[in-house]
Amino acid sequence: MILSDRETPRLEFRSMTVDFGATRALSSLTLSIQPGEIVGMLGHNGAGKSTVLNVATGAVSATDGEILVDGKLLPRKLTPKDAIDLGLTVIHQEPALAQNLSVLDNMFLMRPAPATRTARLQAAQTALNTVDASSSISLHQPVSSLTLGQRQMVDLARSELAGEVRVLFLDEPTAALGDQETRALHDLIREFAAQGTAIIYVSHRLPDIIDVCSRIVVLRGGILVHDQPTANLTVRELARALAPELEQDARIVHMPGTTVLEVELASRLTFAENEVVGLFGMAAGPQFAVLDALFGLTHTPPVAQLDGMPYRPSTPRIAIRAGVHLVPGDREQDGLVAAMSAADNVRLPWLFRRKRSNQSTSTTYVKARADLAILGPGADAPIAEFSGGNRQKHLLARWIYPSRPRVLLLAQPTQGVDISAKSDIRRVVRHLAGEGTAVLVASAETDEIATMCDRAYVFFGSHIVEIPRTDDFDEQLLHTLLDLANLPNETKLEPA
Amino acid sequence: MTATERAKILLAQNGIFVALLLLIVFFSTLNPRFFSFSNGETVLLQIVELGIIALPIAFIVMTGSVDLSVGSIASLTAVISGMVMNETGSPVVGIVAGLAVGLLTGAINGFLVAYFGLSSMVVTLGALSVWGGLALVITNGATVTGLPESFRALGKAMVGPVPLQLLLLVLAIATAGYLLARHPIGRQVLAVGGNPRASHLIGINVPRVRMLLFIASGASASVAGILLSAKIQAASPTIGSGLEIQALTVVLLGGVAFSGGVGRISSVVAGLLFVGVLRNGLIILGVSPFLQTALIGATLIAGVAMDSSVQRLVNESWAKRGKQAMQATSPVDDSHTPSDEFAQSSAR
Repeated sequence: MILSDRETPRLEFRSMTVDFGATRALSSLTLSIQPGEIVGMLGHNGAGKSTVLNVATGAVSATDGEILVDGKLLPRKLTPKDAIDLGLTVIHQEPALAQNLSVLDNMFLMRPAPATRTARLQAAQTALNTVDASSSISLHQPVSSLTLGQRQMVDLARSELAGEVRVLFLDEPTAALGDQETRALHDLIREFAAQGTAIIYVSHRLPDIIDVCSRIVVLRGGILVHDQPTANLTVRELARALAPELEQDARIVHMPGTTVLEVELASRLTFAENEVVGLFGMAAGPQFAVLDALFGLTHTPPVAQLDGMPYRPSTPRIAIRAGVHLVPGDREQDGLVAAMSAADNVRLPWLFRRKRSNQSTSTTYVKARADLAILGPGADAPIAEFSGGNRQKHLLARWIYPSRPRVLLLAQPTQGVDISAKSDIRRVVRHLAGEGTAVLVASAETDEIATMCDRAYVFFGSHIVEIPRTDDFDEQLLHTLLDLANLPNETKLEPA
Repeated sequence: MTATERAKILLAQNGIFVALLLLIVFFSTLNPRFFSFSNGETVLLQIVELGIIALPIAFIVMTGSVDLSVGSIASLTAVISGMVMNETGSPVVGIVAGLAVGLLTGAINGFLVAYFGLSSMVVTLGALSVWGGLALVITNGATVTGLPESFRALGKAMVGPVPLQLLLLVLAIATAGYLLARHPIGRQVLAVGGNPRASHLIGINVPRVRMLLFIASGASASVAGILLSAKIQAASPTIGSGLEIQALTVVLLGGVAFSGGVGRISSVVAGLLFVGVLRNGLIILGVSPFLQTALIGATLIAGVAMDSSVQRLVNESWAKRGKQAMQATSPVDDSHTPSDEFAQSSAR
């Protein structure tokens, strides 16, 4: 037995590797967390954050490596039930509760319940007390009547009932919470930590991570690239760890042309020819609602001007007729028709708008395929048989061929696609902007905004701040977030 | 994709043609009278109404809905047009009244499904009961007889050497084939069935597509009802009962995915012939009509089972092909070119 001056870690990953088919989601992760530590986990989509959560809670099994809890090796085939019994708890952004049942019923769903109703009520009440929610939540109210923040409290209370919470994973817990709910949740997290729970806090919200976490780890492409106490980090280091490719990215400042679109929100946003403008905000934040509104998907149309004329789309048809095209963020749900062929998926909107397309539709597909460097089966293969990046390219092709848009709205256009597809998409979008299309990119990823856009509007609550393109554009994005969160704007980050 | 896989896909997608062939061989060996020109004509004349009803239902199933009310719409049309005819003495007025019944009942179905967002299964099952009941109420359960002579002649009318009804069926098939494969509405129908949310974002007026199809279905059901009553020279209030199940059998045997988004007309026609041959063959073999109904139901279930296994097989083969092609360097692979006119619309 080796003696150590350190405490036994509460949770330890030893060269943990997870493969999904040919994709390596997590590569030899080694990470240990002491009791009472709150570790913030940062990384872009696909960096492996969810895999860490899923492997520790039995949702996916590891290809290689070991997980230890309090020095004890976890079984190779960990089931979600084992994880709960061991006190490993995940709180998701959208808690997994049965909406139609009462808080009380949810508390004991799939959990051992005391025999009598009185005992159950008492146990549930105690659990609610420990999460400081007994005054605002009644045990008899249906979960559907609770706010998202309250649901997370119920989820936490529910995990309390299973016994000691040894490790708590929080997956984007504050993405949809207001300031007050966020503060309450953070207080609660600190209380859990004070009692010895080890906490892994996954979030896109940098201010939240800095507020509550004592240590920050950064994942990129399944590899742990950064592991430092929060107090030792600078914004520059953090930006570099998150998006190193920015260092090599040549800064070209494009001169914007005539103004194409103006939108009145909290302030006036303008979009011109020959520029790609980012709309940056939190995951599922208000920047995406702006795109929806401009495409006629909201009940109240936006107050906007297109080429100097009032623009009030109430349906997508009106928007498309005006030359405003949307590439939606959820390409499977909102974009592609899985059973339909690749070529049909591209020309679908134009098949019944003959006037707008003067090119023949079959040559259009061949051209789109060459321009976007689409790889995969033939034109009449179902779109579902293409890889993610090539599906995304098809969706983009749909909205730029054969009819060039006046305004192109892109929601997370490079989300979940591989690096070469990312650069193909960037190249085509840039080319389109050069030809006179105003391009809007809404995203929650700093690297997506920083690599695609000439400038950006940052959305934080009801504030909108414009960031011009400068040499340290990406750092400016992060700085602006910190400013908006009223955190000290020194280069050194201090945990609150 | 290897040759065997390609063959497998072809067989799976065209299995109904093979099944039809086998069925014809089967009945021909059991009874030599089966395989004759006159019996062939009988089979075709027997499936006219079923075909006219099944084609619009194929479109509706492709959009992910279903219309179960067509049998009752046919019955209601038959009795109303018969009564109007007898009252006015004019077959034309009677037929117009009958078509109006189909358009109206179809529009009600369509409105409730498309604009109220109600389940098509529930709405049209209710409508099946409502219109079937109404047909019985207004006739007191009795068959309307004594239809005008000129109307009864319609059942036997010939255009040159071809019976008029057969011409109507061919016209309906040609129209459906054209609309699905060549007209933009075909792609709209498949898109709505494949992904309604994406269809809305593409600018397709999803409720209007649904509404139009239900109206077409109602109108076709009324045409079928009128043809049936001309054929049997009387309008029974249950003349169309059971047509909805048979039509659904045709559509599912014809490879239209019950979940929507996939289908082609050539296969639906093969499904129609299959049901027609089955019915006719059973009659020739002297199988009891009660057992025939049971066998049609069993065929429906077999059709659904075939649908799901075909979809799975095709998807698996495409997935394999996709992986292979992904490793290829050529950005454009057009080795797999569209062959069959109708097959273009059924990229499974």
